[in-house]
Amino acid sequence: MTVPEIQQKVIAIVAQKFSVDAVKINGETRLAEDLGVDSFGAVELMFELEEAFNLKIEDSEIARVRTVNDIVAYLVSWLDKQNPPTT
Amino acid sequence: MNRRRVVVTGLGVAAANGVGVETFWRANLEGRSGISRLDAFNPDEFAVKIAGQIRGFDPLAYMTEDVAKRVDRFVHFGLAGAQMALTQSRLNLTPENVERVGVIFGSGLGGQLFHEEQILSTFERGFMRTNPISVPRVSPNAVASQIAIRYGFKGPNMVISTACASGAHAIGEAFRKIQYGEIDVCLTGGVEAPLTRFNFSAYCAMRVLSKNNDNPTAASRPFDRDRDGFVMGEGGGILLLEERDHALARGAPILSEVTGYACNSGAHHMVIPDPDGADAARVMVAALADAGLSRVDYINAHATSTKANDYAETKAIKAVFGAAAYRIPVSSTKSMIGHSIGAAGAIEAVVCTQALRDQIIPPTINLDQPDPECDLDYVPGKARPSRLQHVLSNSFGFGNCNVSLIFSQAT
Repeated sequence: MTVPEIQQKVIAIVAQKFSVDAVKINGETRLAEDLGVDSFGAVELMFELEEAFNLKIEDSEIARVRTVNDIVAYLVSWLDKQNPPTT
Repeated sequence: MNRRRVVVTGLGVAAANGVGVETFWRANLEGRSGISRLDAFNPDEFAVKIAGQIRGFDPLAYMTEDVAKRVDRFVHFGLAGAQMALTQSRLNLTPENVERVGVIFGSGLGGQLFHEEQILSTFERGFMRTNPISVPRVSPNAVASQIAIRYGFKGPNMVISTACASGAHAIGEAFRKIQYGEIDVCLTGGVEAPLTRFNFSAYCAMRVLSKNNDNPTAASRPFDRDRDGFVMGEGGGILLLEERDHALARGAPILSEVTGYACNSGAHHMVIPDPDGADAARVMVAALADAGLSRVDYINAHATSTKANDYAETKAIKAVFGAAAYRIPVSSTKSMIGHSIGAAGAIEAVVCTQALRDQIIPPTINLDQPDPECDLDYVPGKARPSRLQHVLSNSFGFGNCNVSLIFSQAT
C-alpha cells in the first residue's frame, strides 16, 4: 500500500467515524481542533484503524497523534517494520 | 408551608402507535394498537415475538449525527421529546435562568442496546477493546446529562430508576422541586429502549409476557378474561413543568396543572404486587390528600394486562373510592402501546394532559370479555367525551414501587 493510499483510507475512516464530508479532510486536518474529536473519539478511532490495518496501536501513540498525517506517519512506520523494504 | 403551583407547558412523546404528540394522541383516541411482530432483532428463538416497537423514528430529525451515534436509543427518545416539549413551551433561555431549570428523568434500564453490543464485542475481541464510551453511554443518567449539555440547563440533574414507575417518580419529584421553590422549570419524563435480545429473554424467563404472537394488536388486553401477560414496549414521554406564575408571566401555553403526587412501597415481593392492593390504595389516597381532593373524573390505570396487576389495581380503586369507584372511568394506555417500563408513567402523563385539554377519555382496547373480578368502567373500545377536571394516573413498578400522580385542568 502506498502512502497516498494509506492517507486516503485513513481519511475515509475518519470521515465516516465523525460524520464529516471526506473532501473537507486532508493531511493537515487536526482531529481535536478541526473535527472536535475528544479523547473517547480518539480511542474509538484507534480501534477502527487497528481493525482496518490489522495492527495494534499503543495508548502512548494515541496521545501523540494530532493530525491525519500523524496517523498516516505512524501507520507507514508500523507497516515498514512489518515488511522491511527488500531493495 | 406555602406551596407554589406547577403547570405543564410542553409535551413530547414517542410510542409504538405514534411519534409526536398529535399523531400519538389521535392514535389513542382511535384505539389504534402499536403492537407488531418485532424486528429490532430476530425473535425466532424466543417464545415471545411481539412488542410495542417504534417504527419510523429518525433520531436525525432531532439531533446531529455526531450526537445520535454516541448515545443509546433511550437517549434518542429523551432528546427528541425534549425538543418537542421545549418547542411547544416557547421557553426562552437566558444565562440568568438556566440555573433554575432542572432535568429529572426516569429510566428503568438505561443503555441496554450498547451494553449488550459491547459485552458481545468485548468477549469476542478481548478486554483491551472495550469502547471507552461504554460507561457514559450505558449509564441511565446519560439521558438527563445529554439534555442538560444540549440546552445548558444547570439546575438539578438526575435519573430515577424504579422499574415501571421510573417516569412517574421523575415527574413527581420534579413537581416537588418546583413546588418547594428549588427551581422554576424542569424538563422531566421517562424513557426506555428495552428491546434487546438479553433483556427480552430475561422478561420471557419471568413468564410475564403475552405469547399472543399470531394476533399482535390483540395481545395487550388489560382487564379481559383472555389476557396472558403484558407486551413489552419502548418509547418516551417528556413534560416541561413550570411554576405557574413563571409560565403566566411569559404567556406560555398552559396545558394542565400537576396537583398531586405520592409514592410508597408495598414491601412485599420483587415482582408480585400485594394481592390486596393495599399499597396501591394507600398511594392513591396520599396523592388525593396531596391535591386536596376526594375524587377524580378519570383514572389512567397502570393496567399492564397481567392478572396480578389487574386484580390488585381494581381492588385498590374500590378500596379508595368505595361505591363511587363504579362511576369513575378507568382506562389503559398500555392496551395500545404495551408496557414501556420506565417510560410508561410519563407517556401516560402525556395522555392525562391531552385528555384534560380535549375533555375526552381514550379507551381500553381489546376488552371483549371482562374478567368477572374486574367490574369497573374500563371505557372499552371507544374514546368517550367526558367532563374532566381532575385525573389520576397510577404507576406500579417491579419491587412494589408505587406512584400516583394527579393532573388537573388548567385554570
